[in-house]
Amino acid sequence: MSTIVQEYLDNVRSNLRLEPSDEQEVLSELATHIEDEIQDLKKTGLREEEAASVCIRLLGSAKTVARQIYEAHSQGTWRQALLACLPHLLFGLVFLLNWWRGIVPVLVMLVMVLSTTVYGWWHRRSSWLFPWLGYSLLPVVAAGLSLLYLPRGFAWLAVLIYLPLALWLLYRVVSQTIKKDWVYISLMLLPMPVIISWFLTTEWREGFTVATIERFYYFGPWIGGSFLALAFGVVSFVRIRKRWLKVAVLFMAGVIAVSLIAFYARGRLEFVQLLLLFLFLASIFLIPALLETGARSGRWGKIFEHRPMV
Amino acid sequence: MSERHELIKSSIDSLLLALLNEKPMYGYQIIKELDGRSQGYFRFKEGTLYPALHRLEKAGLVRGKWETLPSGQQRKYYYITEKGYATLVDKRTSWLEFLNAVNMIIQAEAGQ
Repeated sequence: MSTIVQEYLDNVRSNLRLEPSDEQEVLSELATHIEDEIQDLKKTGLREEEAASVCIRLLGSAKTVARQIYEAHSQGTWRQALLACLPHLLFGLVFLLNWWRGIVPVLVMLVMVLSTTVYGWWHRRSSWLFPWLGYSLLPVVAAGLSLLYLPRGFAWLAVLIYLPLALWLLYRVVSQTIKKDWVYISLMLLPMPVIISWFLTTEWREGFTVATIERFYYFGPWIGGSFLALAFGVVSFVRIRKRWLKVAVLFMAGVIAVSLIAFYARGRLEFVQLLLLFLFLASIFLIPALLETGARSGRWGKIFEHRPMV
Repeated sequence: MSERHELIKSSIDSLLLALLNEKPMYGYQIIKELDGRSQGYFRFKEGTLYPALHRLEKAGLVRGKWETLPSGQQRKYYYITEKGYATLVDKRTSWLEFLNAVNMIIQAEAGQ
């Protein structure tokens, strides 16, 4: 295969962002098209390289072809949309119906989230998995937040044990996910700014007291509402075909959820905290995109290795 | 975008279904058929054929299947499905009605 053809197929591949089996099929189909066309062009007297060059020109921009094929494949079914938004819906219901006060519903939720995540991780890693994966990281976040209440002098515990473990886990998940598509990292981390926002509204500096529980009870419907906003965003994400619109709708769902919290927290969130939360929200979109760009260009070496052309 | 491109874009699904209704074909074969039978009118960026075929496949209107040619090479053939055939009949009826209506106006104007 000539260099120009290989470059073209590499270019299509790096912009396709499909399941590996679909991706391979698309590339094989384009490769057979190129093979046939080059043979026909050679019969007209062109040399191999000239024929390859004409063929690539006739095919059109690799990016456009990849984008259009992505759009043909990118629309998930309503079943996938429901599956993807289910963890947000469940968390929304837990707070809307005040189930969070009972240990049984919380345990059932935890088992459900973890088992669905494990199943999804080992079976194709479809787009519906990533919201579940985000919630399965919640125990890690909760452990981190609980470290804030350790007695003074125990900060070493966080530095030596928690931080390396949490960062290692995040690295493992991110490095595996980025091979597929950076937007799935955003999909996975989307609940984090919302959860942290609600944590900040509970006046966490005083520690967990009866008053904290009362605040959660008071905010219950709004907490539920913010998770429902995420659920709506995720359904749209799965059903929309255009990639930029998928990213936009996910980001807007995050903005709406955090804005809801800021509105109903009635001044409990300071301006700086709110600003940091929006920056955090933006960073869960920008950082994965930058990481993927770095991985594709080889700038990150083997840290976030991108899948090579088969 | 030229007027011709717009027309091709809006009718590509009908054209593909009509061709595949005659016999199963693979991508490059479809391009050659379209080009040959339309005497070069339906010449477009060939890469854009595949998104259209994949869209039809996702919608269940065609079914793709890898087959081995006598030469040993593999090609992905597209077959029209029952749903695809029903869609083609609908599209053909709409197209003929549209064409008939347009002709009644344009030809009447030409006759004046």
